[in-house]
Amino acid sequence: MTTTTIEHGGTLEPEGDGHGVVEGGGHHETRAQRHLKERIALWLLVGGDALFLLLELFTWFYLRALNTNGMWRGAACTKANACTDGLGNPITSEIPKAGITYTLVIAALTVVAALLVWWAEVSAQRQSPRRIISAGAGFALLTVLVAVVVQCYQFGQLPFTTIDGAYASSFIFFMGTTLAHLGLLVFILTGLWVRARRGKYDGGHWFQVGIIRFFTAWCAIVTCVLAATVILFA
Amino acid sequence: MTTAAAPALLEDTQLSSRAGGLYRHQNIVTGLIGGIGLGAIGWALSHQFLQGSNWGTDMVVTVTMAGWVIGLLLGIGAFNAPVLWMLGHDQTHEDELYLAGVGQGPRRYWKFCTDHKVVGVQYLIAVFTIFGVGGTLAMMIRTQLVSAHSSFLGANAYNAIVSVHGMAMIVATIIMVTGPFGNFIVPIMVGAKDMAFPRLNALSFWLLFAAVPPLLATFVLGGVDAGWTTYAPLSVQAPPAMDAFAITILTFAVSVTLSGINIIVTVLTMRAEGMTLNRLPIFTWGAVIGSALGLYAMPAFMVGMVMMITDRVSGTSFFVAAVGGSGWLWENIFWIMGHPEVYVILIPPVAAMLEVVSTFARKPIFAYKVTVGAFIAIIALSIMVWAHHMFTTGWAPDLNGPFMLTTELISIPTGIIFLCVIGTLWRGSIWTRLPMYWAYLFLWNFIIGGVTGIYLSDVPADNYFHGDMFVTAHFHYTLLGGAMIAAVAAFCYWFPKVSGRMLNERIGKVAFWMVAIGIQITYFGMFWEGFEGMPRRVAYYDPIFLHANQMATVGAYLLMAGFVVLLYAIIHSWVHGRPAPANPWHAKSLEWMVPTPVPLENFLVEPVVTADPYGYGEPEPAAPAAEPEREPVPVGSAETTAGEPV
Amino acid sequence: MSSDLAVKTREPDPLPPEKAPFFSRPSGKIFLIWLAMTVVGVLIGFYAPHHLLPTMLSVEGRAVWATVVLLTVLAAPVAAFVYGVGFYSLVAWRQRGYGQSDEPPPDGPPLRGNSGLTILWLVVSGVLVVVMLVWGLAELASENATHPNSLQVDVTGQQWLWTFSYPGAGNLETRSLVLPDNRTIVFHVTSEDVTHGFWPVELGVQVDANPNVVTTIQATTNKLGAFTVRCSQLCGLYHSFMYASGAVVTPQAFAVWLHAHGASALTASDVARVSSSS
Repeated sequence: MTTTTIEHGGTLEPEGDGHGVVEGGGHHETRAQRHLKERIALWLLVGGDALFLLLELFTWFYLRALNTNGMWRGAACTKANACTDGLGNPITSEIPKAGITYTLVIAALTVVAALLVWWAEVSAQRQSPRRIISAGAGFALLTVLVAVVVQCYQFGQLPFTTIDGAYASSFIFFMGTTLAHLGLLVFILTGLWVRARRGKYDGGHWFQVGIIRFFTAWCAIVTCVLAATVILFA
Repeated sequence: MTTAAAPALLEDTQLSSRAGGLYRHQNIVTGLIGGIGLGAIGWALSHQFLQGSNWGTDMVVTVTMAGWVIGLLLGIGAFNAPVLWMLGHDQTHEDELYLAGVGQGPRRYWKFCTDHKVVGVQYLIAVFTIFGVGGTLAMMIRTQLVSAHSSFLGANAYNAIVSVHGMAMIVATIIMVTGPFGNFIVPIMVGAKDMAFPRLNALSFWLLFAAVPPLLATFVLGGVDAGWTTYAPLSVQAPPAMDAFAITILTFAVSVTLSGINIIVTVLTMRAEGMTLNRLPIFTWGAVIGSALGLYAMPAFMVGMVMMITDRVSGTSFFVAAVGGSGWLWENIFWIMGHPEVYVILIPPVAAMLEVVSTFARKPIFAYKVTVGAFIAIIALSIMVWAHHMFTTGWAPDLNGPFMLTTELISIPTGIIFLCVIGTLWRGSIWTRLPMYWAYLFLWNFIIGGVTGIYLSDVPADNYFHGDMFVTAHFHYTLLGGAMIAAVAAFCYWFPKVSGRMLNERIGKVAFWMVAIGIQITYFGMFWEGFEGMPRRVAYYDPIFLHANQMATVGAYLLMAGFVVLLYAIIHSWVHGRPAPANPWHAKSLEWMVPTPVPLENFLVEPVVTADPYGYGEPEPAAPAAEPEREPVPVGSAETTAGEPV
Repeated sequence: MSSDLAVKTREPDPLPPEKAPFFSRPSGKIFLIWLAMTVVGVLIGFYAPHHLLPTMLSVEGRAVWATVVLLTVLAAPVAAFVYGVGFYSLVAWRQRGYGQSDEPPPDGPPLRGNSGLTILWLVVSGVLVVVMLVWGLAELASENATHPNSLQVDVTGQQWLWTFSYPGAGNLETRSLVLPDNRTIVFHVTSEDVTHGFWPVELGVQVDANPNVVTTIQATTNKLGAFTVRCSQLCGLYHSFMYASGAVVTPQAFAVWLHAHGASALTASDVARVSSSS
């Protein structure tokens, strides 16, 4: 049995500071509610992304363990016993490993970006949030953009292409995942930077900064896990 | 009705002529223009620059279809708010009200509308449309199979139709309850004013809308000839239709993920005061648990389809054994998605049907907590059973024993659902209105689906039955006879709330008997084929299977005719039906306490919940009002319900 | 709940349940329905597989038949119980006259659960699962046991035909599968293009044919007769036409058949190869 009591004459009252109520789909809610919602949603989203990542790792390790036709890196491919690539052309030698320098640089840059956002969130509580957050977001954005450039450059420098067997395929898939996360970061950090400059976080409402810090940290974890895999288990 | 002066309805708010900004000019027409336009631009550019490459046609199809999806979302306005956010602008309250459909009348159903009830109805129409497509394809399949060597379709068209029938039905059944009722009913049930993220909600519907045309386009792109399971390497070699198929699945998977997050967050954070987890209606539990499992399944589908696309458009070799890949990788990833997915399909409708059983047996749900626990046990086990689809692939024979164990264990929590149903029926006051008919049909079918499932869980028996029509009959008994019939029960139950009209039960019962008998004839025919050893997905067959196939075809026609009659009843009732009272079933959950049609933001007063909604036959609330300083106003009967037909 | 919303409950049953004779109580009547339906289910379990399954030519095929019978017999009482309560509720507890009514019948008794019954249900289904599992694992173990003197047969699927080869008989290649009676046959299965499903129907086993890898499955023949090899995985355009004929023949006839098809070394040459063909 359900009962209904009349408590508020319609909608919840706004909080005292006038900023307490945020809009969402034409209804009012408190900041605390909004923050809880966003935090849970972000956890769920990161959970889904983590599964995506796990299955990528499964792909890597499963194909590496199966080594069908000796074609993980083509160790069995010789002139006498040529393997075929994705276009049916012969491969007559082992596929070289990709260099690890760029991979390490990209992982390091995302970690730096995550630290910058974290610094911005922590410092903004003491000093002028507009300057600190826009500086943190701006530098983080620059760092991520550099990482994107490095990633594109790495693609041009790879000693193999997509058609060169399972190792090459998986490596490029990992690069694609990294790039997708960097792309998301570019969008989010641009928003953070612009909004900080416009004073959206001046009132002490930098919860959104915390959300972005969390996601940036997750992106750094993704790139580090992928980098560790390609370096340790080539 | 309450004694307090009724607050003005939000939908009567007068908005300024600038509310909504760009959204004012966006609707399905601009969406289609955007989609077709960007698709055409994508086609032109890729045709110009990529056609000559090794995988030209596949690239062109992929770019064109991706252009369609993105263009549609741009045109409908899905990206307005994120872009504005990035540029540092927030939407005003007026903008939000405009987005929720204020002042647009029926036009809001054709726009990017954030009102959860509008999204629910949009989903409902989409589900009916996709079921219509899938059902028509099923009739073509059965017509082809009416004789052993029919020339009705031909082998290529047959394979294409089998694939799209499968995928269309999977798409439709995944969203058939969480889409319409997860959006329309769940927020009201928990006492919320809308979903947690209304714009995300609208986005998930329009993603679904964008996902369907590429699926149909497969027919003109050569046809997907690999079945809905698209086993590699056949699917890697398939015609360009497979690219469109992959875009469909990627788009759909994003849609299901977003809508799942939305439902979970809504139920976790937006419950009314006093709506503790112990008092949640069981359908809410089902929607949350099914959505949570969807969050597990859909990323796997995305990973698989991304690799499928790269294999096809750039020559990677994830699934091509000659170049170091493995078809088993696809099969693993597919079933890591695919087995949880059947519970994504099953749990929400079953939970909705338990509401029906409780209401029409006039009894509380039997063993409520145990049943919720069983749902959770099912999803926990369901992520560990995927390889029972791979008993005969030879990928890891040593794992067949462990996967047989987990598969058979899952029958224990599934059995609890039966206990819950028959425990609720026990000594109940059975009120045989139309929804209850379908609930009984579920009980009948799902037992048969369950019993035939245990043959397949046994590895030595599966070594015979795998890949033959027995499997087809089994999963149609569980997914059509079980999940979809439960969804029809839920539909008939909530139809008065959604449409504001009573469903015509006389025509509905005619449809019921046609469907009920049609299912038995069709799938007993298929069991017969399966026992005799007829493989799945064959366009031509050995004449020894003729009689079984003819039986299945006759049954299928009857089944389809039954659904057409049901559709007639629905359309007829939606237009001409008797206006529904707010609480036609005298049920006790919150969605029946609000007026019909449900106003924007649902509740005229904030509800405070003091007991669960199953207090049938209980003279006093199980738990007295938890808020001693407040005066609870009972609204549990028609006399005091907050709203009469408007 | 305010007083004007007095809850309508049904009149109590005419006889207090505990004093009525067992078979006039609901539980007694449901017991009778359950018994009858269980008997029907068990009869179906014995009758249906016998008439619907093809005549099996191998030990594994007989095991399929036995498994279907056993699982049907195990499931019959459970299904009969659910159906029994369902049917009885429709007949005895349906509130007549309310089918068209907008007013609901009076509420039923507020039974919210019964922990004893729930535990009993869990225990019974747990026991049934254990029985199923032990049966399945025992069968699995016997089907995977290695047999000396088994006949090796290489099976290759391609779009859309099967090729069989007898490595012990000079790699004789045929399009139809002829096997000797009373012998364990080990099939080494692979594919030249896409995934196929090697399914000699009346032998009751199957395994997928994957490109670039070899999978194995074994069956022990124990009956003479013809069978059909079908493809159980959708493999493209003419999947429907991918089948081959097969027969289990006496060992003498098998030797004659090999000879007639020009197999080179015959005498005892088709004994098991030492290693698997992978």
